[in-house]
Amino acid sequence: MLVNKENILKYIPQRAPFVMIDALIDANETSFESSFLIEQDNLFLADKCLSESALIENIAQTCAAGFGYVATQNGEEAGGMGFIGAISKLEVLGTAEVGNLIQTSIKVLSSFGTIHLIEGVARCNETDLLTCQLKIVLA
Amino acid sequence: MNRAEIIETTKRFLSEEFEVDPNTIEPENNLQETLDLSSLDYVDLVIVIEENLGFKPTAEDFKSVATFEDFYQMVEAKMAE
Repeated sequence: MLVNKENILKYIPQRAPFVMIDALIDANETSFESSFLIEQDNLFLADKCLSESALIENIAQTCAAGFGYVATQNGEEAGGMGFIGAISKLEVLGTAEVGNLIQTSIKVLSSFGTIHLIEGVARCNETDLLTCQLKIVLA
Repeated sequence: MNRAEIIETTKRFLSEEFEVDPNTIEPENNLQETLDLSSLDYVDLVIVIEENLGFKPTAEDFKSVATFEDFYQMVEAKMAE
């Protein structure tokens, strides 16, 4: 693990109750991995299932943490603002419930300055829950 | 790849990717306007260039690109590296 729950806020701009990742497991220039335990008080629960929008946010926050962590490794600052510029190729394949651990993988497909095209997969128990591509703009 | 091959190849993949008439891709025409590129579209442009020409351009490479003629010169320079 690269960043634990106590330190993840140093790398993302979101704050409770909108934080949708717990830890950054791995990160390099082209890929990131995170984990997130769904707790009882999550704002995005409906009938104890986490909403699709929360999984998209989980993917976006994994990007924020990953880009932030890599930036600090290069001597730059982390925790800056970022925006989802576009969502494409979205597939919702399953749901996760309270108590499930979400494991998310990101692959950076392309970059142009501060704009990045990424492919994200959120999984639970080795089953894909949601996949999509996001255009992330780092401010 | 010589200039004629670069023009032929880029005309094909750019018109397919950005859904424009290949005849509008002329050296003197503005690349961004012709392809109707938003800033977000440039990450897609990077991908199709890498897939079709074998190199990954950066934002820096596009600083001197306004027309397709500029684009062809940038491609030639990158492919010569």
